[in-house]
Amino acid sequence: MAWLFLIFAGLFEMIGVLMISKLHKDRSWQSLLLLFLGFGASFLFLSFAMETLPMGIAYAVWTGIGASGGAIVGMILYGESKDWKRVAFIAMIIGATIGLKLVS
Amino acid sequence: MNANWLKVFIAAFFEVGWVIGLKHADGVMEWAATVICIIVSFYLLIMAGEKLPVGTVYAVFVGLGTAGTVFSGIIFFDEPFKIAKILLICVLLAGVIGLKIVTEDNATEGAES
Repeated sequence: MAWLFLIFAGLFEMIGVLMISKLHKDRSWQSLLLLFLGFGASFLFLSFAMETLPMGIAYAVWTGIGASGGAIVGMILYGESKDWKRVAFIAMIIGATIGLKLVS
Repeated sequence: MNANWLKVFIAAFFEVGWVIGLKHADGVMEWAATVICIIVSFYLLIMAGEKLPVGTVYAVFVGLGTAGTVFSGIIFFDEPFKIAKILLICVLLAGVIGLKIVTEDNATEGAES
């Protein structure tokens, strides 16, 4: 269950980060609201996940999901570069996350 | 040292503070401190990112944040020290940092923060 919470925390963080970029462009209150909701939900789920997981693992995976998820969304929705280096780093993050799940 | 880089280091310090708070905070005062840490950390990071390259700032920040959380967990809260765990966290961190730095080189839109 803790890992599921952690994945949700990472996904909500991604929404928060996407809203930061959007807010820079449109300066709308909707983006600001979604930014707060995204990060709020993210922190809430992260604290649920940390009830059982150690801080180091939870924090690293949370950041990893945010960064790789953001890059994947960028590639699919915003036509960002699909350079092999970016794909390789995303694979490293996902591989390490699965490894952490297995050893903990 | 450049004052903007100093902000990045202080931001990472507060980042570790709120992570500890999310796990261990108990009572109104400690939760309030946790929220303050979140705000200070974000604020400093955004300020630093306006003057410095965002990808590099984030890479340094997340590296310090991860190292700080792992070590404070082990040192202050008796979390288990496992080599496999530390190595995997290093691989994950290398992926995040690499991704941020490569993305910055490409200067893609929407890649900030």
